Amino acid sequence: MTASLRFLALAALPVALGFAQSPSAPPAAQPIPRTADGKPNLSGVWQGGGVSLYGDAADGTQRKYAAPVNPPPKREPLPYQSWAEAKSKTFTPADDPTLRCLLPGIPRITSMPMPFEIVQTPTEIVIAYESFHAFRIIPINDKLQHPNDLVPTWMGDAVARWDGDTLVVDVTGFNDKTWLSGTGSIHSEDLHVVERFQLNSDDTITYTATVTDPKVLTKPWTTGALLRRPPNTRVEEYECIENNQDVQHIAK
Amino acid sequence: MKIPSRDRLLGACLGLMLSAVPVLAHHSFAAEYDSKTLVTVTGVITKVEWTNPHIYFYVDVKDASGTVVNWAVEGYPPNTLKRTGFTRDDLKIGDMVTVTAYKAKDSSSRLAGREVTFPDGSKKFAGPAGAR
Repeated sequence: MTASLRFLALAALPVALGFAQSPSAPPAAQPIPRTADGKPNLSGVWQGGGVSLYGDAADGTQRKYAAPVNPPPKREPLPYQSWAEAKSKTFTPADDPTLRCLLPGIPRITSMPMPFEIVQTPTEIVIAYESFHAFRIIPINDKLQHPNDLVPTWMGDAVARWDGDTLVVDVTGFNDKTWLSGTGSIHSEDLHVVERFQLNSDDTITYTATVTDPKVLTKPWTTGALLRRPPNTRVEEYECIENNQDVQHIAK
Repeated sequence: MKIPSRDRLLGACLGLMLSAVPVLAHHSFAAEYDSKTLVTVTGVITKVEWTNPHIYFYVDVKDASGTVVNWAVEGYPPNTLKRTGFTRDDLKIGDMVTVTAYKAKDSSSRLAGREVTFPDGSKKFAGPAGAR
């Protein structure tokens, strides 16, 4: 196939898949914004899901987006060791740490239906999450060197480096009290998460998190999220403990 | 209007349009509410709690025998509601509103609000659709 034919075939693909926004002009790939030091500029407000991002299907406010140029990986079931699988099944939604307004941990917080803001500098990345008032201050450190005085925490200790145009965040130092995703998705203090933030030409971020935990899992597990810029949104206060009636009423 | 004895089911037409997984951000919807049965109540707003992690407003609903029950209606978090165009000022104490909602599984007088019809007839979603 010649180069021009290849281009035409690629250009026609979104139309064939029903994703094109207009019949005449498929959206052109935009160069990604970059900082003065040449890195992809991740700064801004992002969100992984929720009604304030995608609208509500029933009232006509659902927002239509073109198919992402770089979709995140499909989430597979957690590959638990047999004892961990059995233990996982003993939990119910009433045991969810976030029900008590405790921090969701990594990677779970990324898919919460609330926005977060990334502030990027050449030496550190700061992520301020609306959900549960979480924040992470992530030093850029090419050796991914963690401090040697860590004690287990809910959000772990994160350090980052640039792998080409992808921000790689290495997180360790977790406690064993958070869930990875759904009900009973337990882990141990040996949890190690490698997150990747890739800014795409369609102004999305493809987020992937590869989770290893040799005490609990049989192999690494990967999850992901597509992050978009929520319209007219700033990160605001979420004082979760203020009026948490659900904790008294949820089914055991 | 009273709560019908066996919870009037409106899901037949609504259900086709609604998402299958209700999301309330900080807790499991299905573990707290009967997410398959939509009920409708009409009553007067007595109190508004524009709070996290969820808003609540309270509605006095009179049944056929004249007994008034004060129902608590839970909704999305305040920021989520504001971003979808449902503001604190929309809920006025003393206003008569009609609410479609899902009842609590624990038989308390609590509802997960779906849609609110305001005195002028306009409607806004207070929370997610239940499961189909």
